Amino acid sequence: MTPKEILAATLRHERTEQVAWVPFAGVHAGSILGYTAEEVLKDGDKLFQSLMEVNKLYKPSGQPVIFDLQVEAECLGCELAWSEEAPPSVAKHPLEGEEELVTPCYCTIPTKDSGRIPMILDVMKRMKETVGDTTALYGLICGPFTLAAHLRGNDIFMDMYDDEEAVEEFLQYCTAVAKKMAEYYAEAGMDVIAVVDPLISQISSDHFEQFMSKPFSELFSHIRQLGVFSSFFVCGDATRNIEVMCQTNPDSISVDENVDLVAAKKITDQYNVAIGGNIPLTTVMLHGSQQDNMKFTLDLLDQLEDKRNFILAPGCDMPYRVPVENVIGITQAILETESVRKMLENYTAQEEEIEITLPDYNNLKKPLVEVFTLDSATCAACTYMMGAAKEAKKTFGDAIDMVEYKFTIKENIARCKKMGVTNLPSMYINGKLVFSSLVPDKEALEEAIRKVM
Amino acid sequence: MSIIQEISEYLQKGRAKNVKQLVQQALDEQLDPKEILNDGLLQGMMIVGTKFKNNEVFVPEVLVAARAMNAGLAVLEPKLVEVGNEPVGKAVIGTVQGDLHDIGKNLVVMMLKGAGFEIYDLGVDVAPSAFVDKAEEVGADIICMSALLTTTMPKMQDCVETLKERNLRDKYIVMVGGAPVNDSFAKQIGADYYTPDAATAAEVAKKAVTEK
Repeated sequence: MTPKEILAATLRHERTEQVAWVPFAGVHAGSILGYTAEEVLKDGDKLFQSLMEVNKLYKPSGQPVIFDLQVEAECLGCELAWSEEAPPSVAKHPLEGEEELVTPCYCTIPTKDSGRIPMILDVMKRMKETVGDTTALYGLICGPFTLAAHLRGNDIFMDMYDDEEAVEEFLQYCTAVAKKMAEYYAEAGMDVIAVVDPLISQISSDHFEQFMSKPFSELFSHIRQLGVFSSFFVCGDATRNIEVMCQTNPDSISVDENVDLVAAKKITDQYNVAIGGNIPLTTVMLHGSQQDNMKFTLDLLDQLEDKRNFILAPGCDMPYRVPVENVIGITQAILETESVRKMLENYTAQEEEIEITLPDYNNLKKPLVEVFTLDSATCAACTYMMGAAKEAKKTFGDAIDMVEYKFTIKENIARCKKMGVTNLPSMYINGKLVFSSLVPDKEALEEAIRKVM
Repeated sequence: MSIIQEISEYLQKGRAKNVKQLVQQALDEQLDPKEILNDGLLQGMMIVGTKFKNNEVFVPEVLVAARAMNAGLAVLEPKLVEVGNEPVGKAVIGTVQGDLHDIGKNLVVMMLKGAGFEIYDLGVDVAPSAFVDKAEEVGADIICMSALLTTTMPKMQDCVETLKERNLRDKYIVMVGGAPVNDSFAKQIGADYYTPDAATAAEVAKKAVTEK
């Protein structure tokens, strides 16, 4: 099965030999190539290049093309405040402060030519052509309730008490926007339309049923008619709303670390809805070590008795600065689960007496390139790192020494500990860390070697 | 049911008009303004806060209850000034620089008001020095900072550093909160308290100023 087939089978609620993996690399995708959040969310070429890096390094079953809930709001007149390392925020809500909530004319619904939509559709098509056979592509649209809040500000919460009919009418409009966006994205080749509505976690189940059940049910039915899969993303503690969310009939839902995924899956399984989540964004992905990320993944997998209907994913859009090696660790844990389990056991085991003698780095006869990998045979990023080292070996021949240490071997774990190697893959030259996680280009690596010749 | 209890009940239901009317009626009946405040408005808001903390009510319910509280306070405040009612403490609050998210911050504002604090709400996108300047200007007890983005969290530390630079760190209680913030982050940046929700923030703030 290709990674895409694994995801499709999961969304059809079938059993799969491997768990589907969908890294939500939005602005983080840009960070891999050094692009700011603003660049990657505005410039189609930079976005495309970044997404290709994500595809190469993280071997996803599915990946979002753009993770920005402000696209529709921007088309509808919301002023955005841009940031270098985060998606933009809505700085001005056009309908905030108006005494009455008046639904805008349906003639304002964004077209394929509005705002950043042409750029997004173009990148979607390019991704479809390039990796669409093996990776399921996610088109993310802003959910009706969050869009309502973008336009109306926090007043929308009061409106739910003051003018129920106006809120219903307004949400119908926001749902019409979402339906159009789903049409554009499905036509551009997206395999899954994800309705991202973080604010759903901020209301009661009663309010959900009163205001949201109808529009969301209609939206998911519309997406199904378009012939693509659907997903319902929520952030925050949405525990109480999992059941009512399932009742709107999406193919899957996605939750963050505020929800107990194991408990939530018992509910979603009753409705035969797939559930995705919920690697903690800050404590594990952003601030944890590579080992923490691998361990979290294994622990989560181990807690799930039935892995059918499960998608491994970050809790939400990954922070910009999530270290690449952490995501590589998660990728490896999902693709080579047993091998990673063994690695971690060896890593955390009581210190065995494995004597490692490090080379005398100060007195080497020729440059020594040491590549530390999770396993270059199975880890994509490691394969590329080894590929670069092998290429350099070809160039320099006998003038340099090159060796790979795979983390799958106990002795190499001991070596990593002694050397202080914490992130894999990484490349050391003459005992010094030179490249970590990101594969150097040919010139950069050759220059680094020449420096020590 | 006494009129004071009625004020609390209507406040919990978010019925601003009824609360306003009942507070006026209570004043007309010569009830003690402090009693109307503490046993009616603030007690009602405290119940809402506890329910919010226990996941029994959510953002819309808290917002309408707070609106009802404010409607009652508007009627009551002139009388409170007359009788010389002192706030529990003064708090300066805002969402940190670069961050425009204000739902969580607004909830804390309401809960702090409900706990009897005088609030100076600086809004969103607040520079570290602006928190300190305002606290100095109004003689605050507490500085409260909110952030929703991992990228803006470091601004909280900048504010703590600004306090240190001006030799004011010990003068203020610094509280932080927001989705990506946790206890260890609060400790790491040298804040005094992290609280996971608005109701707990109000409880902790009240205890902190009492012990100060």
